[in-house]
Amino acid sequence: MKNLLEHMGIEPERLHFSWISSAESTKFVDVATKVTEAVKSLENKEKKFVKTKPKVA
Amino acid sequence: MITFKLNGQTVQGEEGQYIIDVAEQYGVEIPTLCNHKALEPAGMCRICAVEVFDGRRTRFVTSCNYPIWEGMEVKTDTKLVSEGRKLILELLLARCPETPAIRELADKYGVTETRFTKGADTCIICGLCTRVCEKMGARAISLTGRGIDTKVDTAYSLNTEACFACGACAFMCPTGHITLDRIKEHFTTHRAEPIKSEYDVGLQGRKPIYVPYAQAVPNTPVIDRDVCMHFKAGGCRICSEICPVNAIDHSMEDETVELEVGSVILSPGFEPFDPSGLDFYNYDHPNVITSMEMERMLSASGPTGGHLIRLSDHQEPKKIAWLQCVGSRDMNRCDNAYCSSVCCMYAVKEAVIAKEHAGDALDCSIFYMDMRTPGKDFEKFYDNAKNKSGVNFVRSRVHTITPVQGSDELELRYAAENGDIKTDKFDIVVLSIGLQIPPELIAMSRDLGIDLSPGNFCQTTTFDPVATSRQGIFACGAFQGPKDIPQSVIDSSAAASAAAEILADSRNTRTKEKEAVPERNVLGERPRIGIFICRCGTNIAGVVDVPKVVEYAESLPFVEYVDENMFSCSQDTQENMANIIADKELNRIVVAACTPKTHEPLFQETLTDAGLNKYLFEMTNIRNQDSWVHKNNPGLATEKAKDLVRMAVAKVAQMQPLEETELSINQTAMVVGGGIAGMSAAKSLADQGFETHLVERDDHLGGQAVNLHHTAKGEPVAENLAQLISRVTSHDRIKLHLNTGIQNVDGFVGNFKTILTENGKEQEIEHGAAVLATGAQPHTPDEYSYEKDKRIITSLELDEKFRQKDPSLEKINGAAFIQCVGSREPGRMYCSRVCCTHSIENAIELKHKNPDMNVYILYRDIRTYGEKEYLYKQARQEGVIFIRYTLEDKPKVEVKDKSIAITVTDHILNRPVELNVDLLTLATAIVPFADEKLANFFKVPMNEDGFFIERHAKLGPAEFATDGVYLCGMAHYPKPIDESIAQAKAAVSRAVTLLSRTSIFSSGTIAEVDPVFCASCGVCVSICPYNAPSFAEEGRNAGKAQINPALCKGCGLCTASCRSGAIHLKGFDTDQIMSQIFEMNEAV
Amino acid sequence: MADNEPKILSFLCNWCSYGAADLAGVSRMEYPSNIRVIRIPCTGRMSPKFILAGLRQGADAVWVSG
Repeated sequence: MKNLLEHMGIEPERLHFSWISSAESTKFVDVATKVTEAVKSLENKEKKFVKTKPKVA
Repeated sequence: MITFKLNGQTVQGEEGQYIIDVAEQYGVEIPTLCNHKALEPAGMCRICAVEVFDGRRTRFVTSCNYPIWEGMEVKTDTKLVSEGRKLILELLLARCPETPAIRELADKYGVTETRFTKGADTCIICGLCTRVCEKMGARAISLTGRGIDTKVDTAYSLNTEACFACGACAFMCPTGHITLDRIKEHFTTHRAEPIKSEYDVGLQGRKPIYVPYAQAVPNTPVIDRDVCMHFKAGGCRICSEICPVNAIDHSMEDETVELEVGSVILSPGFEPFDPSGLDFYNYDHPNVITSMEMERMLSASGPTGGHLIRLSDHQEPKKIAWLQCVGSRDMNRCDNAYCSSVCCMYAVKEAVIAKEHAGDALDCSIFYMDMRTPGKDFEKFYDNAKNKSGVNFVRSRVHTITPVQGSDELELRYAAENGDIKTDKFDIVVLSIGLQIPPELIAMSRDLGIDLSPGNFCQTTTFDPVATSRQGIFACGAFQGPKDIPQSVIDSSAAASAAAEILADSRNTRTKEKEAVPERNVLGERPRIGIFICRCGTNIAGVVDVPKVVEYAESLPFVEYVDENMFSCSQDTQENMANIIADKELNRIVVAACTPKTHEPLFQETLTDAGLNKYLFEMTNIRNQDSWVHKNNPGLATEKAKDLVRMAVAKVAQMQPLEETELSINQTAMVVGGGIAGMSAAKSLADQGFETHLVERDDHLGGQAVNLHHTAKGEPVAENLAQLISRVTSHDRIKLHLNTGIQNVDGFVGNFKTILTENGKEQEIEHGAAVLATGAQPHTPDEYSYEKDKRIITSLELDEKFRQKDPSLEKINGAAFIQCVGSREPGRMYCSRVCCTHSIENAIELKHKNPDMNVYILYRDIRTYGEKEYLYKQARQEGVIFIRYTLEDKPKVEVKDKSIAITVTDHILNRPVELNVDLLTLATAIVPFADEKLANFFKVPMNEDGFFIERHAKLGPAEFATDGVYLCGMAHYPKPIDESIAQAKAAVSRAVTLLSRTSIFSSGTIAEVDPVFCASCGVCVSICPYNAPSFAEEGRNAGKAQINPALCKGCGLCTASCRSGAIHLKGFDTDQIMSQIFEMNEAV
Repeated sequence: MADNEPKILSFLCNWCSYGAADLAGVSRMEYPSNIRVIRIPCTGRMSPKFILAGLRQGADAVWVSG
């Protein structure tokens, strides 16, 4: 899936997968924060959804 | 309602409110240090001063205690106010130059330095502490002295018993002047300590009003009477003043309630052993903790958030040791001679989890006597802990824990296996504490007139494992003996079954039917969406701007009605909601409130009561996943709430009424296997009023129990077995099928059709449920010269000799037992659970026949768990010699003319010892039949060893994931008779929850195949974990997939994997999820 | 909403992550408010189409959690 996105010119950092049990609220918060940070750091780049050179052909 | 002007804006407030309260509501910030919602304002700090214009002149007033009046004009943003504030801050800063709270406030309002002479106080005489102390009813402190000598003090500056050390003053103090230490030193004569959280074993504090733990049932707060200031000093009651629904009533008293019941089940549990009495463990040292504390520390929701620390300095530990058998297997230092059964496994688990958390560098050592992991899959876990996770296992009982001088470390001095004395240092030492019955339970048992065992556990018998000595009273869980969760869950279901057996006649005699409201047909109607937005008191409304969300929701398409509720889940709101649905003819409902996981069924019931199909509903979570987690960001939280409501509206518009398929239940049961477990299950089912078919492959009943001599408790097996067989054969609701095989099984929960071949003749029986109790068999050894000499026999063959009263047994001079023959080794990495106890029992019996006989037991770990430990102790006292061997160095057996020579390496001498005996008993493994055909018939899984896999090791230990099929006895895992019978009753208990109904409704949110699009590829059939899809065999759609609504759990796996898009998951269909996705960003 | 606040579309399993998210609320934890949750019965329900549709609809990211 990530390869497909990359192929389409979308940064793979825009897709996240995780596995969290219903008791792991701390982990949920951690992951939620990390995902948001990862995306925000992408936002700082010029314009989203643009990748100059896809790695996979 | 009073209307006035605040900074030029027209605002409204209630009669009796003060300026500061109204300003807060309108988001106008006024600083204050001495004001608190719970207390009457006093205007002490003056910093809240604002300008009030009364039509003629402007006055400077303290806004915290100036009541509002009609037509007044208040200004908080003038230069005068700002300068006044700065002046007051300068004065405060002069008094308390080093107080962070004052510094912060000064910075905020642009005051950096004071012009006045600096003092060195930390108190600003705001009087919050003395006012709250008075409110509490304690009146221990007040403002004493005059002018510059004013200070907070007790009467005569003496520590007083009037101060209960409740800490309210410290809680209120805005500057940090009053601390716990100050209370201890200057105020109170009582002990001043934070209230320890029982759930977090004291690692964390809790409040006097608290929810015991996140999963507590009921999940409502309780008041701890022992620490509540209202009950101590008569004051406070702030909680009842603040509670918006007036739920708190301090005058409630304990009531005596009388209930008439037909049976009683006791499940009062146990208490963890308290090691503080054992001074040589130095439990008062911060780094010596109990396993319960470790458990909380490792928990992601625990006091450290799952982060492992050394409590003395909060550093990450590098080395941790666990000491086993603290408060267990010990008559010298405590009175608990029994084994607590669970500690070995939990210690291994904690060590593995600790290493997972902290990484491989963490050194974990477990000091133990015998590693007891006899439960299902436990041995593999132990093996992995040792060989994959790298946990160290040290066979030694550590006597003393010594704190290392000048360091936070702890020193353990212990004897290694060869007798060498070693010392090692650790950062944390965990005491693996045992289970025991607290004195109040012993007293309760005495009052109830039920007998206790030597370890003070509830006395039960092997053949009636959940019945107490008093008829009609049953026991389960650790009260009946130290046990783990799977066994406790099995026992609890078994006790329920045992209670139901004697109450079968009164089943359903007190049930009330609910009146059904006819469902309105909404098909073809244009969506008329009703939205109910919950304020949840201030839980949601305190963060999310609910009126704004309401206003926004009204603008969404197809929305006919929007309202906000104080508490949507309250009974009156529910009734109101039902009326509105009817009045406004709403046909789709959205509730924006808390979590659907707890409240969806409640609202769905309201829909049903209003005559609306309950699936025309969507709930969105603006509390748990919005207001609670974004409380510092009300703006964004409100935006998020709008988005969530819009997404829910989009989805609900797509919802269709769903039907819940009704399935009839055939109230007949079938039990496969006529051993102890199968017979017990059949008898229990029949006793509870259900026709039962008992299918046995052999020509007789009894299973492996036929070969057993007596139980661990000394009861003769043969007599009890004969009694059970006679009851089963004479029961008029049990139809016995001996010499019978199963040819085929068709159907599903409630409607099975099984073809039996009884004595070669085929017959079909219909049944609603099936219990698999197919048992296991003894392993035939291929080592230790078995079958090469008749003096080398298996455990069951020795039992046979005992039963036959074989005279040769009395003439033997020496006998040996070799344990773990075929168990706990590669290829069969499980413990057969019963063999240690069995061999010890037989060893004792041999000793009784001839006390001079030399009896040896060659073992790897003795696993006499629970109160079976007494047998082990007795055997040693009577002179049975225990010699340990290792898997790498097994005993060697040589058959000689006059004796059997066994060579084993003595682990203390570290050299081979030769034993010459006349009888060698091999404690052979228990191996399953691994009947794949049967597993396929019922679509139930088997593990790699060939035992059936239950639905869930802990939550569903006597049932399969496949509905309507249940499991008990040794087909699940090797176990002794009492545990087999308990599991049989447990399986029956689960089966009866199904069989006691004439029909069940499947969920509406299930998958459905559109045969027009189905390509018959078979992906759904192979991928479904519940075997719900199959190929239709006849009719128009033969060859296409179809989904059995009774088996479908609505997970959507098939829907997502269907290549042709033929499968729709009702309630979560693609267009419904897509509509949510489309609405995520507002349409441009 | 400010332009620099990205929206993250999350698909949470009803039994696992959705429960964790609820518990995070009960425990009054805090995390960024950029997440928009769609509750699904199981991550097995997840289809690549949903991810693509989400991104296409302007989600700045997609988070799938079981």
